[in-house]
Amino acid sequence: MSFGIFNGWRTSLSAGFAAIFIVTWWLHPERAVSGFAIAATSISPSRASEGPLYSTRFASSDLDEFVHASSVTSLPDGGLMAVWFAGSREGAADVQVRGARYDAIAAEWGEELVLATRESTQKATQKHIRKLGNPVIALAPDNRLWLFYVSVSVGGWAGSAINAMYSDDLGDTWSTPRQLITTPFLNISTLVRNAPVFHQDGTIGLPVYHEFLGKFAEYLYISPDGEVIGKSRISKGKNSLQPTVVPIDEQNAVAMLRYAGDSHHRVLASRTADAGRTWSKPYPIDPANPNSSLAAVATSNHGLLVALNDLEDGRFRLRLMETNSSLELWKPVINLDESPDPEGNPFSPQAYREIIGDKFRLSSGPRRLSLVDEFLTNLDQRVCKNHGCDFEYEYPYFIRSANGLYHLVYSWNNTFIKHVSFNDAWLMEQL
Amino acid sequence: MLGLWQAHLTFALLAFVVLPGFGFGRLAQGLRLLLLLAVSFVSVDGLSLAAYMRSFTDDVAITTLVALAFFAAVRMGLLDAPKRNVRVQLLIVMAALALFLYPATMGLSYLDPYQLGYDPRPLIVTVGVLAFGLLLLKNWLGVSMLGLATLAFSLGLKPSPNYWDYLLDPFIALFSCGALIGYAFRVVARRPTKASQEQELNQPTSL
Repeated sequence: MSFGIFNGWRTSLSAGFAAIFIVTWWLHPERAVSGFAIAATSISPSRASEGPLYSTRFASSDLDEFVHASSVTSLPDGGLMAVWFAGSREGAADVQVRGARYDAIAAEWGEELVLATRESTQKATQKHIRKLGNPVIALAPDNRLWLFYVSVSVGGWAGSAINAMYSDDLGDTWSTPRQLITTPFLNISTLVRNAPVFHQDGTIGLPVYHEFLGKFAEYLYISPDGEVIGKSRISKGKNSLQPTVVPIDEQNAVAMLRYAGDSHHRVLASRTADAGRTWSKPYPIDPANPNSSLAAVATSNHGLLVALNDLEDGRFRLRLMETNSSLELWKPVINLDESPDPEGNPFSPQAYREIIGDKFRLSSGPRRLSLVDEFLTNLDQRVCKNHGCDFEYEYPYFIRSANGLYHLVYSWNNTFIKHVSFNDAWLMEQL
Repeated sequence: MLGLWQAHLTFALLAFVVLPGFGFGRLAQGLRLLLLLAVSFVSVDGLSLAAYMRSFTDDVAITTLVALAFFAAVRMGLLDAPKRNVRVQLLIVMAALALFLYPATMGLSYLDPYQLGYDPRPLIVTVGVLAFGLLLLKNWLGVSMLGLATLAFSLGLKPSPNYWDYLLDPFIALFSCGALIGYAFRVVARRPTKASQEQELNQPTSL
């Protein structure tokens, strides 16, 4: 081998290339992962002595659109902001990311807002956008409000990418959305659905999942300014989606996953003991799962509350369950919503109209109650198909606000986003 | 538009390399490249043609961009086409990186090599060693591809903070693996088999 290359311009060029690698190495020190920020729940003395509280209302108000995949966050004034997607059907080009604000004093939701459209996303990302999907909203500890949502440029949901936008004025104005880069394969096949968690240094921990070739879950580390700075794998293979992550302490967290396989139809669980860097192999736990999304939150007594369709098939019953941190003991708390038929069989339109009318009145809250007649005259393919009319309660999203209240939002027959709130006193009463 | 510099450059270089050159001279080829660059800015429904291409391809790796620029220069007669051994060495390096990255990153294992691109020191050392090896082999195309990709990473020229996105994309990965398999088939096909050697020996000579 000739060492003549180390002469003249070649020597300079070689030294230049060596310098590039050395400087690049020096510029990228190893990143330390900070522990989970465990939210301090401040329950005022007056609130602590409050009696049991359980209330429901609709967050959405549009009567015509298919609505789905809701998410909610609490705001510093005690209010809430919820987001969901709405359009003529799931995956349609007219789907928008919409939201609404909850006034804590009036205990009601305001008018719907449009937060992102296919066109606004296309303009911002300078990519062709076919459709929008799941949105997730979360308030960071620095009071920056984050909105993550899915968009697709090519193909179906397997071609998804995650967009991020933020607001520094609690949702009055928003930054231009930009696409997170999360995979080396054309940056496709990453979706978001579940609540992010935060780390002590402000890093956002975003549970995500993949649907291209495999179906598996990951945990993204996103810097406080919105750049993906790391990731870890929660599961592998083809049978798990939509991880809901609940920190137990600074280093430990549990993830529960939607089971998308064909064998046991049980919720999967995985654990981390190093703030999300590594996760244990997912294992099936007691509750059933019909390949549907679930949501969990930590309780005051170091347990977890989980909202899920604990069925092997169908989504006709949404149940709230309590479990301990080892996920071994499970106790039903309440059926949040369910079909009157214990097997979830469809109803005739006439029978369905009567039942869902009653359910509407029990669920809507005073402000949306006036919509009931128009809703009942417009029952369409969202709930009634050739075989009859179905009840579907799905895609729960769970948070606990700083004042100790639990808030749950979910799809109510894909016609409304329902909001349920309750307190510890009510929870104690149920257990 | 500046944010899409890479998309426009990729569009122009790819079209220049793929479309026939019609035997034009060097100056005409240069004008053709400029024309293709101008075409990349043509807007349809608010998006440029380069942006449409990027919607499907995402931002390609810097290695791909350097390779496209190199082959465009070859086409313009500015550089010589790389020799076969140079091509094979480069294909081996890129295919090895691709086989390390892609299968595992698609969910086949709990190990995700893409994470190495976020905490990239071990990967920088590995790629540096590969580049040094190519340097010893006088494979300047390979050294330029890996070196310029690393330089672009340190300057943050792409939106991605992940080193892998500067080194590899599915196109260069598939091309490298496919071309390497093609080379292997050709080598095997050309190698005389024992039967054909015996047949050759038994052939009557024309003398």
